[in-house]
Order: sequence, then C-alpha cells, then structure tokens
Amino acid sequence: MDNPYLWPLTMLVFFPAAASLVVLLLPRDSQELIKRVSLFVTALVFIATVVMALPGFTGGAHFSLAEDAVAQMQSVFQVSWIPSFNIQYFMGLDGISFPLLVLTSFVGMLAMGASWPITKHVKAYCVLFLLLETGMLGVFLALDFFLFYVFWEVMLLPMYFLIGVWGGPRREYAAIKFFLYTLLGSVLMLIAILMLYFNSDIRALSDEQLIAAHVVPDQPAALAWRAEKVAAADLPSHTFNILALQQLGQHTDQFSKSAFTESGKSIQWWAFVLLFIGFVIKVPSVPVHTWLPDAHVEAPTPISMILAGVLLKMGGYGIIRICYPICPEAAYDLAWVVCFIGVLSMVYGAFAALAQKDFKRMVAYSSVSHMGYVVLGLGVWSAVSPSFNGDYWKMGMNGAMFQMIAHGISSAGMFFLVGVIYDRVHHRELDKFGGLFAKMPVYSGMAMLIFFAGLGLPGLCGFIGEVLVVLSVWNFSIVLAVVSAFVVILTAAYILWALQRVYLGAEYKGPHPEALTPITPREWSIAVPLCIFAIVLGVYPQALFNYMSPSVDQTVDALIQWQERQVAEDVAGKKKGGEKQAVTIDERKLPKPGQQSFRVPPIAPSASWSPSRVTPDPSYPAIQESAVEKNNPIALNRGT
Amino acid sequence: MESILSNLLLIAWLLPLASFCVILFFGPRLGAAGRGAAYVATGAIGGGFVLSLISLLTWIGTHGVSGGHHPDAAEASHVSLSNHVPQDVFHFAAESKDSHSHDDTHHGHGHGHSSGPKDAYFGDWYTLVDFGRLKITIGYYVDALTVLMFTMVTLIASCIHFYAMGYMHEELHDVTDHEVTLSNGEHLHRKGRYYRFFQYLSLFCFSMLGIVIAGNIAMTFVFWELVGICSYFLIGFYIERKSASTAANKAFIVNRVGDFGMIIGLMALWGSLGTFSFGGEKNAAGEIIKPGIFAQARAAEDDYALKTPAGMLKRAEEMGAEDPEHIGHLLLIVAGLGIFCGCVGKSAQFPLHVWLPDAMEGPTPVSALVHSATMVAAGVFLVGRFYPMFTPEVLLTIAIIGCITLFMAATIAITATDIKRVLAYSTLSQLGYMMFALGVGGWVAGMLHLITHAFFKSLLFMCSGSVIHAVHTNEMTEMGGLRRKMPITAYTMLVGCLAIMGAGVPTIVGLSGYYSKDAILAQALHFGKNNATWDVMFYVAAAGAAVTAFYMFRLWFLTFIGEPRDPHRYDHAHESPRVMWMPLVVLAFFAIFVAMPADIENFTDPTASPMVQLLEQARPDGTGLDFSGQLAAITMPAEHGSHAEEIHLAAGMIAFGTAMFGLLLASCLYWWRILNPEEVRSMFAPIYRFLRNKWWFDELYETIFIRPTIFCGRCVAQFDQRGIDWMINGLASCTRTFTSGFDRWIDKIFVDGFVNWVAARTFAIGIWLRKPQTGRLRQYVVFIVIGTMAMYIVATFGLTN
Repeated sequence: MDNPYLWPLTMLVFFPAAASLVVLLLPRDSQELIKRVSLFVTALVFIATVVMALPGFTGGAHFSLAEDAVAQMQSVFQVSWIPSFNIQYFMGLDGISFPLLVLTSFVGMLAMGASWPITKHVKAYCVLFLLLETGMLGVFLALDFFLFYVFWEVMLLPMYFLIGVWGGPRREYAAIKFFLYTLLGSVLMLIAILMLYFNSDIRALSDEQLIAAHVVPDQPAALAWRAEKVAAADLPSHTFNILALQQLGQHTDQFSKSAFTESGKSIQWWAFVLLFIGFVIKVPSVPVHTWLPDAHVEAPTPISMILAGVLLKMGGYGIIRICYPICPEAAYDLAWVVCFIGVLSMVYGAFAALAQKDFKRMVAYSSVSHMGYVVLGLGVWSAVSPSFNGDYWKMGMNGAMFQMIAHGISSAGMFFLVGVIYDRVHHRELDKFGGLFAKMPVYSGMAMLIFFAGLGLPGLCGFIGEVLVVLSVWNFSIVLAVVSAFVVILTAAYILWALQRVYLGAEYKGPHPEALTPITPREWSIAVPLCIFAIVLGVYPQALFNYMSPSVDQTVDALIQWQERQVAEDVAGKKKGGEKQAVTIDERKLPKPGQQSFRVPPIAPSASWSPSRVTPDPSYPAIQESAVEKNNPIALNRGT
Repeated sequence: MESILSNLLLIAWLLPLASFCVILFFGPRLGAAGRGAAYVATGAIGGGFVLSLISLLTWIGTHGVSGGHHPDAAEASHVSLSNHVPQDVFHFAAESKDSHSHDDTHHGHGHGHSSGPKDAYFGDWYTLVDFGRLKITIGYYVDALTVLMFTMVTLIASCIHFYAMGYMHEELHDVTDHEVTLSNGEHLHRKGRYYRFFQYLSLFCFSMLGIVIAGNIAMTFVFWELVGICSYFLIGFYIERKSASTAANKAFIVNRVGDFGMIIGLMALWGSLGTFSFGGEKNAAGEIIKPGIFAQARAAEDDYALKTPAGMLKRAEEMGAEDPEHIGHLLLIVAGLGIFCGCVGKSAQFPLHVWLPDAMEGPTPVSALVHSATMVAAGVFLVGRFYPMFTPEVLLTIAIIGCITLFMAATIAITATDIKRVLAYSTLSQLGYMMFALGVGGWVAGMLHLITHAFFKSLLFMCSGSVIHAVHTNEMTEMGGLRRKMPITAYTMLVGCLAIMGAGVPTIVGLSGYYSKDAILAQALHFGKNNATWDVMFYVAAAGAAVTAFYMFRLWFLTFIGEPRDPHRYDHAHESPRVMWMPLVVLAFFAIFVAMPADIENFTDPTASPMVQLLEQARPDGTGLDFSGQLAAITMPAEHGSHAEEIHLAAGMIAFGTAMFGLLLASCLYWWRILNPEEVRSMFAPIYRFLRNKWWFDELYETIFIRPTIFCGRCVAQFDQRGIDWMINGLASCTRTFTSGFDRWIDKIFVDGFVNWVAARTFAIGIWLRKPQTGRLRQYVVFIVIGTMAMYIVATFGLTN
C-alpha cells in the first residue's frame, strides 16, 4: 500500500524520542544547553503540528479543512508490524485527534519552557520529558489498538519517574499511586482489547465498511482482499484496527454475543465497562480520581501542566474514539451511568476544591470538576425516536471536546501560575498569601484572566465548553441538568475565594515576602500565549469547531444511525413475529457492494427501550418478546 | 432604516470596548499618571451617547412619538416583524383621554396594537457556535425600548464619567488608604489606580449595552455574566480592603445563584424551542427561517395571545407525559421562572437582595452607575424584554417577589445610618416597585419607573458621593447642616428626594417619579380589583410609598439640615468642583422632566408624555390585553384599564396622601424635632433591632447556606482522604503485608532455605574434600594410582557389560 504519510507522521511522533538520544550525548554539566535543545525540539514539534493545519499546505502529513475530507481520517498510513497477529503500525488524524495533537505539542512546548527552574539531573529530566512527548503524540495518532496500548504505556513510565524523582516531599507516594492507578486502567484496557480482538472478524464487513476502516483502499482491492481471505481457509480474521472495530461494533453483532455465560452481559458490555474504567481513571472521575491531587501536588510545575493539560485528555479521547463507537449498544445502555459519573465528578470536585488549603490541590480538584463536564457532554445520548434528533447530543459532544481543549489551556495555565509563586516563596498555603496584586501586577492580571477562564466567564475559553455541555443535558435528563447547572455556583465560590486569599488584600502574609518579584520575561512568554488562547477560543470558538465538529458530528451520526437501525429492526422484528433468519458466517463472505447494514439479523423488540426514549408499541405482546429474545443475541443484554 | 439603527448602535456599543482595550494596554502611559484614560473612556461613552441620541431621533423620525404628529407611518418602508405594514400604534394618543372611557368594550386602545405587530428590527452579527439546527449568535434586537435604554444608559454613564474624573482624582497620585491598617500599624500606601477605574467602567459600559442590544437570550446571558464580573471588579476596586473584596465575592456568588436559575430557564427554552432568538433566525436573504421565542409563544395568527409553544408540547410528548398540554405549560413556567431567577439575582430582589447593600463598598460613581441606574436595572429590563413569555402564574410570582422586596427594603432603609446604604436599600425598594409593576401587568409603568428611577437614583448617589467627598465619611450621624456649605449638592439632592417620593400636584403635574409611581399604583389597584385575593399587594405598595418618603427625607434632613454634629468635618466640607456638580444639574433636570407630557394641550394626561408613548411603542405584542392563568385563577388586566379615571384618581390620591404622610413624619422627627428620634427608637426597640439587623438575612444565610456548603466541602475533602485514599492505601498495605508474608514464608523458608541448604552442603563437601589436599606428593601419587586402577576396573568390567 502506498503510504505517503508514513514518514511525516513517524517523524513527528518519534522526533522527540530521537532527540532525546541526542540530549543523552550532551555533556551533563551544560544544563542550559540541554534545556535549550529540548525546548527547541518541543517548539519544532509544535510548529510541525501547526503547519499541518495550514490551508494549502502540501507535502508531508496535513490536516485538510476541505469540505469533503474534514470529517474523515486523514493522513492515514498503515504498515504491517506483527503480521501474525494482524498488528499494524497504523496512524491517522481526524478532527477529534488533531486539536488534541496541537494541544499536546503546545502544552509540551510551554511546559518545557516552564522547566527552567529545574536543576536536579537536568539531562535525565529532559530525556524523560521528550520520551513522554513521544508517548503522548503517539496515543492521539495511533489507530491500531495495540499500538495505542503501547503508546499509552510508553507515556506512563517517564511520567512515573518525572513525578517520583523531581517531585515534592511526598513524591514517591504520589508517583506510585499514579502508576498503580493508571496501570490498573491499562490492565483493564488490555483485557478489553483482547476480548474485542478475539471476537472480531473483519470478513463480516461490507466493502464500504472495509474502505471506511482503511482495511482496503478501494473497491477492487476489497474484492482481491476477499478472494485472498477465502483462499486462506475459513479462519476468522481478527483485527486490532480501531476503525474496523468501530465498523464491527456498529454494523455487526460480533460483540453482542454474551461474554461468559449463555445469558450474561455481552462482550461489548464488558468491553465498554473495562475500557470506560480504564479511561475514566485517566480523566479522572470520581471515585477513581484520588491519584490526581497527589500527583499534581507533588509533581514539579511543568509536569503538572502536562498532566492537567494533556494526560487527562487521553481519557476523554479514549471514550469518544474507542468506547462509544466500538460498543454503541453498551454505551446506550450505560449512558445514564456515564452521565451520572460526569455530574458526580463535577459536584464532588467542586465541593472538594472549596475545602482545600493548598493552592495546587485546589486547582487539582477544579480539574476533576471541569473534566466532569467532558464525561457528561460525551454521554448525553438524547436522540430519541421518532425524530432521532442528534443536534443536542452533537452539541454536548462538541462541548465536551471543546472543554477538553479549553481545560487544557486554563488548567495548564493555572498550574503554571501557581508554580510561578511557588518558585518564589516555596509554599502553597492559600491562607498565607495575599496582596500579590500590588507586588506582581502583570502576573496577577494574567492569573485573574486564566482563573476566570476556569470559572467559565463568557469571552474566555471555559464558558463555551461548559455552557454547551450544560445546555445539552436538559433533553437527556432534567435532574442531571439541574445539578450540573448548580455547579456554576460552587465553581464561582471556590475560584473567587482563592483569588481573594491569594491576590487581593493589603499585604502578603507568608514567608519570603522579599522574593515576590515581578515575573520574568521567560515566565511572561509562557503565560501570555495561554492567555491569548483563552481569549481567542472564548471569542471565536469556531476556530476550533471548524476542525472539530465535522468529525464529532460524524461520530454522533454514526451512533444515531446505529440506533435508528436498532429501532427499525425492533419494529421489523415485531412485525415478523418470531421469524428468525439464521445467518452463518459463510453468508457474510461475499456481501453485495453498496449494502450499508449488512447482515444484522432482525432484532427482537426489547422491553428496555424505555418509554421515555423510544415510543413503545403497546400492541406488542410481552410473551412473544421474551420468547424471541432467547434466540437473539443482540436483544439479550438490554436488561429489563 | 434598520441598517442605520443597528450600525449606529453597534458603534455606540463597541466604543467602550475599544476604550477598554486602549486603557488596558496603554493606561499608565496615557497622560500624567494615566489622566488621559479618563478622557478616552469619557470620549468613548460620550460618543456612544451622541450615536444613541441620533438613533433615538431617527426612531422618532420614523415612528413618531404620537399618532397626532405622525399620521403616515406607512411611509416607513422597513421590515417589521411579519412584514406587515406597521400600523401606527398611537391612534389612542391622538384620540386623547376620552377614548379611554368609551373603549372599555373592546379593550381600549387595544385595538391599536393587538392587531398590528410592534416594530422591531433584529438580526445577527456573528455566529458563536452552531450545530445542525441549533445556533448561538451575537445579534441585535432593536425596538423603542432598546433605543430608549441605550440613550438612557449612555447619558447617565457619560454624566458619571465626568463626575468620576473629579471624584477619583485622589487616585492620580499615591494614596494612603485610611481604612486599611497593616500589621505594622501603619496605613496602607499604594499607587493610584485612576486609569484602572476607567478601564473597568468602559468594560462595564460595553457589557451593559450588550445586554440592552442583545438579540437573543443567550447573548443576554453572556453580557449578564460580563456585567457581573465588571461589578465584581468595581465593588472590589479597593482590593486591599477585606470588606471590599468580600463584598465583591458576595455580589458575584449571589448573582451566580440567580444565574443557576437562569441557566435552567435557558435549558428549558433551548431544549424545546431550539432557539434563543427574540425575533427569529434569518437566512442570508433576510427571510425568517425559524421564528423567535416570542413568536413561538405568541403567534400573530393567534392575535398574539399566549399559548404553550408547539416545541414545548412536542418536548412534553417526548418525555412521555400523559398530559402534554399540562407538562408543556409547566415547561413554559419553568422557563419563565428560570429567567426571572436570573433577574432576581441581578436586580437584587428578595431573597437574593443581600449583595447590593454590601456592594456599596465600591467607589460612589460605581454605586451610581452600576448599582442603581443600570446594571441592577438590567434584571427589570430583562423581565420587560422577556415579558411575552411569562405566564400569569410567573407574573404573579414576580409581583409577589417585587412586593416583598419593596416593603422589606424600605423598612430597612429607615434605620440605616450609612448614607450610601440608605440609598442602596432605597434602590432595592424601587427595583421591587418595578418588578411589582411588571408582575401586575403594568409593563409601561414598570419600564417608565426603570427610566425615571435611573435618573433620580443616580442623581441621589452622586449627591451622596459629593457629600462623602466633602466630609470623608458615610455616616449621617457625623453630618448635618451641610446645606450651607454645599448648596448645589443639597438642592439637587432635594430634587432627587422629591422625585423618588413621587412629588407632584395630583392630576396636574409632578416630577418624574410622580408619573411612574402613580402608574404603578394605579395598575396595582386595577390588578387588585380584578384579583381580590391579591389586593393586599396594593396596600403594601402604597404603604411602601409612605416609607420611601420618610427615609428619603430623613436622609436629606440628617445630612443638610440642623446643626453640624461633627464640627471638624463640617469645617472642612466644601462644595464639589464643577466637573462634579455639573452632572448633578444635568441629572436633576432629567429627574424633573423626563416623564412629563410635552404637549401643552394634554398636559395633565400622564399617558401623553413622550416617554410613555415611546414605551407604548415597545410594548410586547399581545400584552396589552387581559389574559388569565391556567393553573392559578389570575387575571392579568390590560394596563390601559388603569388609566380609567376612577382607578387612576384613587391611586393618585392614595399615593399623594401616603407620600405626604411620610414626608410629614420625617419633618416632625428630623427637621422640626417635634418628636425625638431616640424616644421613638426606644419605644419600638424590638422592631428597631429587627430592622437595624436587616431582618437578619445575612445571619440566616450564613447559617443555612454558607456554613453547610463549606461543611459539605470539608466532608467531601475528608472523604477523599479518609475514605477513598484510606481504602486505596489500605489495599496497598494489605498487598504489601501479604507479599512480605509471602516473601518470608515461601521465599525465605522454602526457596531460600533450599538454596541455602544446597549451598551449605556444597560448602561442607568442599570442607570435607579439602582434607585430602595435604600437599604431600607421595600421597597424591598413591591417589593417582588408586584412581587409575579404579577407572581401569570400571572401564573393563562396568562398560563391557
């Protein structure tokens, strides 16, 4: 297969790792040089990601905003990596991953700039930092589940050391906690990956679906591919291809078989739960969030920026890229759980932030609260029969994605700004500040701006994400909507209270008052870009939505089409009574091209399409329903 | 026409933003110590005023202020709500008063505007976000109310900018803040922040005008929050003072409580109607592709009668409601109550009124502009704007809340001694009147009071600022007799007091407050006559008028009359500079004349006033008629009914009587000293304490809201550490114990034991084997011989077998 994007994307991802080898060769004593080289590398990566977005840029990987391509995966390449397991070196970009990629390189660059105060083992620090960046970029680009997993783990280790070696007094505890939590998540993810892998068989996909999943480039190739598969005996063709798994999850019932027992939960239910736990640990949501405050408090400032700015986003990214598209049925069933966890995190995080005495810890809990919006926005599956109006859900999901970027900017900014005063006075106790406005006016002004962005003030980036998410919830659940709206009060309370204690007031109450000097140009040049982005995204959100919403909308549309098919099949199944079509794998082999929803057996109506979501048909007898259900795998796991 | 108006107002709106940006970046460098910032900001808002005035005149040029002057409205070839040729809505004014009496059968002049839509221009400038059919935009909705409010806000803001140039001059150089004592016992010294004050003022003006021009409710919300944050900055202008920053926090957070409700209202609208637009969403060709929220609730084909919008009925069906009609109606009520919640916060109505008195920590120009004339009135403005969507049930709620507020605040004002706080409570009370008026169906009355109040209350605040500027205290107990030292301030303030009291000659002429207050009371009486259960509200409002007159004149007498109670302060007092008293005179002029009829022939007819007529043009479609509630037995009487002779006269006489009573009482106590205030106070000691402690609202909220919230926060934080982390750490230590046990028993005893045993054996064997290593050559030869022989034997016999 022709892979024009192989080298550009590979270079983008592995450039920091390669550069880390160069850094290794630099003399240990020239700290300044090492930092400069690392900063240069991160800046190059940032420039590369920005250049990709420039219109008319040709050559190398690019992200096109052209009308027809914008929602699709772009710059895709795949190379066989471990052929015996169908593992591929497979990457690509779309409107969901691209903004996160830019965010990663942007925050990475700023965090490197914020690393100047680090003086301990600078070389090792920079090497690990660059490795971390490779891992983060890889996660957002990988389209092969195995590759995704590898990058996920690659990112974990440098992070562990960066917290554990360069952190505060309780760094070891925090690092181990972070590591174990995340490892637990990855193990669950691994189980889910293997479950999905061994139950997948891409031969069931139609030609269109194969092309959409980038298994084959075009129609003739699909035929050839199929012929090859037929020739290669009747073995199932498992896959790690995330796009193919999405197609399988949405168009076939391969993941709807029950996982363990005859009538237990389906494979995709289990896969969804395992993946969701794995991702939600990263987000993090209550109740698996407690690694975050410790990790943030102990991590050095730049690492906190990376943690809050990028790492947390991987959880949200995983949910929108993997959980929902691959396991739509489970996602639909568990939409309430997802939203509840989102709202719980919002409320819980806000209350906890209110009670914190440590500045950084307060910001950490505000992250928990703000990331709750992301989970909530992703989960508001409010399209219902008969209209299947997905606009509100689109708004929620777009809002959630926007919130991820906005939070990446505001929280990275908040941690940086806390770090600025920590570098000066070496404490973070909220009650022992005060009067910073008089001593560091420019800094305080920028801090106000960033904190107000976190508070969700209109005109700044936090507002758009929050308001879109909150507005989208009403049609999903009024109760959750009211609770999520309530959080605006708490958010205002904890942020304003903290601002009052730190920046306002007549005089500084803590130690080292003489150290409170105005910010340096280096600090200024890190904070200003964050402030500018906070304003630009708040005033001109389309700048982001232009890139993002086509892909997000496409994701939502695919899910809603899935749902429509389900309901249509429910109705069809009801009309046909108990008639079933036994379909074996052989029938799948050569589907007619152009067939959209190939080979999904008619589905029995199920009682769990609750009345509030799907108009029930009272004429349908309940007895018949249960009789049909027994023989129908898709209907099995909706519960009643 | 439409493009002229919208562009004029757009520029007027953006000028303060430009000023804000200029001062933000170049503030300290503008002239000496940032003096130029004041000119930039004042120039911007002054320019805004000129543009607003032009647009007001343009509006009047097209639409006229009355039917008599402008018979041929058809020539105005603009696009109106549904492309009808707009009818001139003011036939009734030309027909003059007598039309009222004989029009009862068909709702008075209702025939004038129940059939034809009112004129409004709307459109979008900028799309913030859009998803499928959903769209959030920045746009405009221009009707007579918008233009009037624009002119009013920019005029008052210009006056206050001028005034602030004088008032804030201390900030031009280093300041010693006597209210802040540092830990070393000294007062705080700091740099002046003159330019910053004007920077905030400009941002505020921009945000406020954004609310006024907003073309949809989401945009209103955006600027709603922005005025909130400006108010936060301005209240907390003296950031070093703990009281100021606390008051700023309080203001913002209490407002957020209101916004919480507002968001719910927004969600209810958004979730079912799918638009926020007031007028409707247009496509590129200017055709309406989606009707606005008003048109959805009051459609032209229904004669603008309120009905539950189809979207809400559909939503109710989707929710699986058995009775979609009922649930849909509830949704409409929720939307209305939610939006009103936001207004309760912003306009400081009971029960969210507690922030406004504390907001007086800000500099006095701020109190005059933000916390009396404009921002706090934004809540009332929004109720007026959103009026077509309110069901009678919601309107009744609004009336009750307004009624409670107007009375409660007025009573607290009686005992306050801080001059600004008296005015703050008076503002609360007057805002209560406006809400009350809107709630009982008096749209024009409420809006008229909004405008008249803006003039006289900003005048009163600026006068009090002038006094404070002269005597450097807020306490009225340390003033007295200042009339002689600062006559201009004293007499302009007297005008303000008379205006707020509603002074006038009944049925003939009066100051601005006379017209608006009479209209409110008349409509309240009218409402009471239609809804006998609720007629008590009229009496409360009338009693409130007496209290208003009492506390205002108490303030005036205590400040300006009698002997100086603090001779030292009195000696240093002086009239304010011209830049400060000129705005007072301007505002006093408006406080007198703003609501007065301009037409000599109809001089005694209050409805003939141009202001009333303009407002009448802006009246939302369909609200000029009676309408009744579905859930509660309420009839919202059409406002024109209150112009009926018997109602208006009765209300006017009662208002006059109560106001005179209040004035006399105040004169007895504080001027003629017939009664001794001390004795009266001790006579009513429990009531005095109750009022003096502001009905104990702060303490109550502290107990039932703030403490539980903080407690809850602590619980959550503790749960995090003691609950979840305890479990996690416990799990970790269990694992560790287990593995170390594992280590001890399995590894140490079995594995290590075995390995060590092997090692020990090996060692022992080695020791044992060492014994033959004697070093003697002969012995070795013997071993070799024996060994060789043994191998030979083994090789011979063992292997051959």
